[in-house]
Amino acid sequence: MRARLKALFALRYRISTQLYLGVGGGVALTVAASVVGLLSFTTVGSAQERVNQVNVPELEAAFGAAKHSGTLVAAAPSLTTALTPEEFATVEAQINEDQRAFEEQLAVLEAGGTGQQRFERIRELADTLISNIDAIKQDKAMLFTLGERTGALQNELTRLRTELDGALIPAIDDQLFYTTTGYSVLDEPQALRNVYFSELELAKYRYLAELQAEANIATQLLATAFTLEDAAAVEPLRERFEATESRINRNLGSLRGTEQYDDIAPLFSQLSELGLSDGSGFDLLAQEIRLMGRQQDLLALNRDIAIRLGSEIDGLVGAASASVQEATTSSSQAITTGRQLLLGISALSVAGALLIAWLYVGRFLLRRLESLSGRMRRMAEGDIEEEVEVIGRDEVAEMAGALEIFRRHALEVQRLNLVETLAQELQGKNDELESVLGELRQAQDQIVMREKLAALGELTAGVAHEIRNPLNFVKNFSEASSELIEEMREVLEEGGEQMTQEQRETLSDISQDLEENLQRILSHGDRANRIVHDMLQMGRDSSVSEMTDINRLLDEHARLAYHSARATDPEFQLDLVQELDPEAGSIEVVAQEVGRVFLNIVGNACDATDEKRRTAVAEGRGRDYMPTVWLRTKRGEEAMEIRIRDNGMGMPPEVAEKIFNPFFTTKPTNKGTGLGLAITTDILRKHGGTIRVESQPGEYTEMIIEIPLNGIQTDGQEMQNGMSGALPQVQGAVAAVERALTLEPDDDEGDADDEDDAALTPPQ
Amino acid sequence: MVLLPLAAACERAAETPTPTAASEPTPTVGLTHGISDSEVLFGQSAAFSGPAQELGLNMRLGIEAAFAEANAQGGVHGRQLLLNSRDDAYEPEAAIVNTHALIGEDIFALIGAVGTPTSRSATPVAAEADVPYLAPFTGAEFLRDAQTLDNVLNLRASYYQETEEMVERLTTDLGVQRIAVMYQDDSFGRAGYRGVLLALERRGMHLAALGVYPRNTVAVKTALLDMRAGNPEAIIMIGAYQPVAALIAWARYTGIDPIFMTVSFVGSNALAEELGPRGTGVYVTQVVPFPTDDSLPIVAAYLDALAAYAPDASPGFVSLEGYLAGRLAIAGLDSCGRAISRECFFRELQEAAVVDLDGFQLRYGQGDNQGSDAVFLTVIGSDGAYHPADTVQRSAS
Repeated sequence: MRARLKALFALRYRISTQLYLGVGGGVALTVAASVVGLLSFTTVGSAQERVNQVNVPELEAAFGAAKHSGTLVAAAPSLTTALTPEEFATVEAQINEDQRAFEEQLAVLEAGGTGQQRFERIRELADTLISNIDAIKQDKAMLFTLGERTGALQNELTRLRTELDGALIPAIDDQLFYTTTGYSVLDEPQALRNVYFSELELAKYRYLAELQAEANIATQLLATAFTLEDAAAVEPLRERFEATESRINRNLGSLRGTEQYDDIAPLFSQLSELGLSDGSGFDLLAQEIRLMGRQQDLLALNRDIAIRLGSEIDGLVGAASASVQEATTSSSQAITTGRQLLLGISALSVAGALLIAWLYVGRFLLRRLESLSGRMRRMAEGDIEEEVEVIGRDEVAEMAGALEIFRRHALEVQRLNLVETLAQELQGKNDELESVLGELRQAQDQIVMREKLAALGELTAGVAHEIRNPLNFVKNFSEASSELIEEMREVLEEGGEQMTQEQRETLSDISQDLEENLQRILSHGDRANRIVHDMLQMGRDSSVSEMTDINRLLDEHARLAYHSARATDPEFQLDLVQELDPEAGSIEVVAQEVGRVFLNIVGNACDATDEKRRTAVAEGRGRDYMPTVWLRTKRGEEAMEIRIRDNGMGMPPEVAEKIFNPFFTTKPTNKGTGLGLAITTDILRKHGGTIRVESQPGEYTEMIIEIPLNGIQTDGQEMQNGMSGALPQVQGAVAAVERALTLEPDDDEGDADDEDDAALTPPQ
Repeated sequence: MVLLPLAAACERAAETPTPTAASEPTPTVGLTHGISDSEVLFGQSAAFSGPAQELGLNMRLGIEAAFAEANAQGGVHGRQLLLNSRDDAYEPEAAIVNTHALIGEDIFALIGAVGTPTSRSATPVAAEADVPYLAPFTGAEFLRDAQTLDNVLNLRASYYQETEEMVERLTTDLGVQRIAVMYQDDSFGRAGYRGVLLALERRGMHLAALGVYPRNTVAVKTALLDMRAGNPEAIIMIGAYQPVAALIAWARYTGIDPIFMTVSFVGSNALAEELGPRGTGVYVTQVVPFPTDDSLPIVAAYLDALAAYAPDASPGFVSLEGYLAGRLAIAGLDSCGRAISRECFFRELQEAAVVDLDGFQLRYGQGDNQGSDAVFLTVIGSDGAYHPADTVQRSAS
């Protein structure tokens, strides 16, 4: 139990615990803020809803009612002023629309139930207003009917007046003319004077004139009535019209029975009808004026009602505004409270976050993580000596502990690595020293060999010179002996009678044999002399280039090489096959040098074939193998090609690529210097030529030399210089001596000699 | 190859409007002051019904004959001339309505109005819209006031000139001393009356007698009685043809037979018909040449145009005056070329030294908007037809 408590207590120090606590606190604060926000919204929402549900519709209705009552009152005069029924219908439709909207707003107000008393007053006023407008509409409809009739009346009056003029004026004109002249109809005779110039005719004229005047008055009276606005003023006009009518009737009565009467009377009767009948004339106009007056009264009443209605509705609007104001205030209070609470919580959250960031994350966690990462970086850079400091009991402390363990391991590993490295280095140095030592030994051997060869070269030159003298003796005395035998034979011829035939024949045979022997001595002596000559020629330094028959040069040096090999080993045999280009001709070379090249290569070929022969013999296959060297020349367009091929041991490619390196050799130390082919390469290079090798191990080796036809001309100077250099001379000597060393006097059987000769003879 | 005939067709279409457009005076879209690429539109408000209808109908006939003549020759600089006529029945109110309507149709000019009261009502409307008012069939003096009416061009001599001519001939040819006047009691009648008074005044004479009759009636007998009292040697009548005819008939029947003279406005042919045999020796002044006198090039042209346009119509003074009015309009348009404007039209006519319509010469100028001062005297012969009268003679009867 105690341990568990302790573990729980320790848990408090964990970063995870602390982070959970921090995030949990944040979430708690957010939830609190949301709750506060929600509460504020609910409060505001309910306040708003109250406004929306109750106050706004009321307010809206009140405004609407005010507006529509105003519109109604304003529209009513346009009803009365509408000029045509169409215009009236438009205005009426508009007013009906307004009236309906007004009723709707009133219904809303009534449903709202606000201020019952006030509403009753409003309702009463509204009813009056609407009934007034209805009355105006009806009156106006009536007015239109009356207006039509008035218009018709006016037209009728105009027409009647024109007709009256048309009837009365000519009638008066005619009557006057008749009364004055007695003529009434054109082309009819004049009446008697007492007939036309009579009281009766004059009276007629007077009645007609008066009728015209009365007609004017009557039409004028009726026309005047159209301009009246006061119904009361119609009556005096009617009165005077009636008076005029009675005068007209009196005059007409006087005319009764005359021809004019029939034309005029109906017109006047129409006039009377027009002015005085019910629903026409003055009656019609009076009706119209009265209706118009009533409309004005109704309009005035409407204006009054509108004012009162307006003030009542204003009150309504005021009340509605007040309750909207109240609701707005309460919702704005809720908003303020909510805002303050949210601000407080936000401030708390920000402060808490800052505190955590600064105290915990910054001071406690980040600083330690930074120190730890700094330590890691230093370790990565190699500093693993310093111990890692472990502070606290949380995950960072665990990381530090782990790092410390890692550091110690790293330290250990580092030490072990150091020992191993030192051991390896030591071994390497030892190997190096050994190889240097080997090289040194090799070099020492070569130097010793070279010194030996140089000494031997000089010695041989001297020896060769010395051999020439005895050879001369051999030659001279052989010749002398031959002469002596000739003399002896002559003597024998002369003094032969003393001897028997047998004796003479015996002596003759003996001298014959001697002669032959001497010839053989002479021949072999010459041969020995030639060999010595060659040796001397070899040792001599020649650096002068000259036109040289390349076939001959090859032949000479091949033979020399053969003889050298033969001299060393009596068992040596070789088939030397020449396939020389008869057109090869001469090229300008340093014959001495190029000859050395041929000698060297053919010598190598001899060695290679001989080795193979020995191997074959050792294996009991000596009969199957015939050592052969092929010599081929070919003159090309630009270069001379010389091919020297043997069917000896051959060589693998790895050897073939090294053979031109100085001091590389496959021969036993006492046999080759490793310089031969190097010198060869050098010489050919100086001639502008090349050498390459083709070989098959166990089958053949072919050296291919190319010397440019004009090579010596371009490189002459360099060659001269090169030829005078010390090294080639020494090397040349070495090479020559190497072979001369083994040169011994040829005391082989003649058949062997013959063989040689045969072998040396160029193939036919 | 296909394009060529098409292009040619287009050209023809541009030059010659379609027959419909030429014959029907419908307003054309794209008109500016009655001018389009292919048309010029004129308006006329005149009496085509009522007692003065003969005047209106003949004025229109003359104008249309002139327009048709020009249109048949390809129009004036490629534009066809159209006339849109409206009936005002010699009523001033109708004349106002018609003038407004015609201006609303964006006509180029008003032409050939008939009557003094109608012109008097229509000219302010035309002046306000700045629409030219051409060749009204009236000699009223107020239309000759070029200072106040700068949109009016008159063709004919004034009533004053007609009455002056009458008085001149009466006094010069016959030495007549007692001259009476009968006039219609309206602005037309009073204009003629004042013209006679002025002519008499110039000669130090006094009016012998005066008769007045109410407008639109034939009640002339009272006037006859009034004039009889003055025992006139000649009666100058300013009135419509029916009352004038009635007066002559009654006067001659009742033994009063002075020299009767009347102005052109009377409607000469109608008067001759109404009078029948009683018309012999009645003098009528004319402001245009005798309409059958084809020795005059202008009359010959008129007769040709009339024969082409209306083969059934008889030649007459009024249709000749209409023809001259049409020719005046054509002359103005012609001198402006293609670029027609009302300003150019007026300028060209006013600044020209003389506008010569086939020998009938019109002269306008600064302060003078009346082209012709010519007054011709004619007389009704015993055959009931008019004859040119070089001198006045006492009645044969």
